[in-house]
Amino acid sequence: MAIALGFTIIFGMLRLVNFAHGAFYTVGAYVGLVIAERIGLVPGLIAAPIAVAVLAIVLDRFLLRFFYDKEPTSQILVTFGVAIVLEESLRLIFGGTTRQYPVPAWLSGSMNLGFAQYPTYRLLFGIAIVLLVVAVWVFIERTDYGLIVRAGIRDRTMVQLLGGNVRLASTVIFALGAAIAGLVGAAASPIYSVDPNTGFTFLVPSFVVVVIGGLGSFWGAVVGGLLVGELQSLTTLVAPALSDVIIYVAMALVLLVRPSGLFGESEVIRG
Amino acid sequence: MMRELRFYGLLVLGLVLFPFALHPIGGYAGLATQILLVGIATMGFNLLLGYAGLLSYGQAMFYGVGSYVALLTVSKFFPQFPNMWLAIVLAVLFVSVLAFLIGALTVRLYGIYFALLTLAFAQMFYFIVFQWRDLTQGDDGLQGITAPPLWVFTNIDLTTTFPSLNLGPFGNLSDVHYWYAFAAIVSLLVIAFMRVLIRSQFGEVLGAIRENEQRSTFIGFNPQRYKLAAFTIAGALSGLSGALRGLYETSTAPDSLTIETSGNFVIYTIVGGVKTILGPMVGTAIIMYLQNVISAKTDAWRLIEGILFVAVIVFLPGGILGSFKRKRARKIFSEALSTETP
Repeated sequence: MAIALGFTIIFGMLRLVNFAHGAFYTVGAYVGLVIAERIGLVPGLIAAPIAVAVLAIVLDRFLLRFFYDKEPTSQILVTFGVAIVLEESLRLIFGGTTRQYPVPAWLSGSMNLGFAQYPTYRLLFGIAIVLLVVAVWVFIERTDYGLIVRAGIRDRTMVQLLGGNVRLASTVIFALGAAIAGLVGAAASPIYSVDPNTGFTFLVPSFVVVVIGGLGSFWGAVVGGLLVGELQSLTTLVAPALSDVIIYVAMALVLLVRPSGLFGESEVIRG
Repeated sequence: MMRELRFYGLLVLGLVLFPFALHPIGGYAGLATQILLVGIATMGFNLLLGYAGLLSYGQAMFYGVGSYVALLTVSKFFPQFPNMWLAIVLAVLFVSVLAFLIGALTVRLYGIYFALLTLAFAQMFYFIVFQWRDLTQGDDGLQGITAPPLWVFTNIDLTTTFPSLNLGPFGNLSDVHYWYAFAAIVSLLVIAFMRVLIRSQFGEVLGAIRENEQRSTFIGFNPQRYKLAAFTIAGALSGLSGALRGLYETSTAPDSLTIETSGNFVIYTIVGGVKTILGPMVGTAIIMYLQNVISAKTDAWRLIEGILFVAVIVFLPGGILGSFKRKRARKIFSEALSTETP
């Protein structure tokens, strides 16, 4: 869900379809892993989003900005290419094998929640995601900066005439979306192992989440993530063979019945 | 008329020389067969991306399903009919119907929604093939299914090689199997078909829809019907390609339905050149050849492919053939201008 959130921020705010988003997650995971192994988990968690944000800024300035005004098809193509380049660079550096960073000792226990035992690290991970979601929402909806960005999507020229720096704002948003992916990647590496393809395998289900929730809708991504998670675990209980298929069936149904998703604005359909 | 003759003459010449031209540059004759078979699907894909302006991220579903239907026809459905035509025809028919049904649902959507919906359907079929072990043998795929002979007045075994004849640096005539001849004939027919289709009214309308769908509706065309027809033809060609590739390799696996496979068709087409008939075939040849040569030497092949792909998008938006075409168009244009000036 958190990946879907970063993806939807970039798409919703910039109207940029980012196939490289999964690769940002993987880059974050590897940066986190390397620093965590040398220094510790916390510095890793700090370094990963910064590194990924820097990468995103470089990509945005030198490559992607030429594609902002192009049709979505060429955005998909160029970010798809970027994703291949990033993933394959990781494979060359770190090899194709799966790696996992062990949960540090002080976080490895489990907590008694009164009704259930739950591993401490996963619990903290969940809480952190919720905090992150709230923080991003506040940033976009409640700060002046978020206002410039949102206005910039509606009418770029007007915002520039009024003195808002739309280009800078769009770079910031792109970097923010990427940083979230990087942070989540680093934080998740003690839970899910990581290999160069991890991000891409997460990206495809996150498309499902975003489409079901409504492309570009903030709360849509949140609700879509929860729905998809529930749907998958319920199907696993009833008919395990279908649990992988079911989310794509759900996505196809949503696209056919209501292409703008549950929370999406209908204007985006003709994108 | 002369231009047509010259085009097909050069094409036939190119197809005859192709497997031998690969020999001195590190390829082999079998690679030529694979390239042509995959290229058929890529050309179909370009009907969508280049001519109709639809980016499908699910083309592998038709390719993969085609290969499964063809091989299952041979091994399970009709083992008593030892003829390759049956496998090919059944696979193409099945995939055409499938493509028509999925197209009917998907062509109403635009841009990224279309791309994601085709992706969703492809994923569905991937997991169905993956999980339906009784029929598809899941992860293992279908292995060692020898293709029956192809009946053309007499039964022909396509794995037969041509007679031995030393061609010096270009290898030996016996490096080439009948399979290559068959693949070349099918490719030639598909190229001719695409050429006629693109130049017909259908092709013109498709281009008009790509450039401005609303306006083409106002003139009185129904865009959905044209797009559905293009989607079905593209699917059928993918099915044909998958069926032939499966029969050639005598095996297939769920890999043939993955996003990577769908993405490969995108890469081949963009590198070779959208909006050109031969571009997708050229792109398929270039990438599959480079993959064959480079991946033998270094692990970095996918990285190089990715960089090449991004470079083509940024610097050669028309692809390799497209940039030639534009240069020629500019030359013709400037010549026309210079003759008009008194």
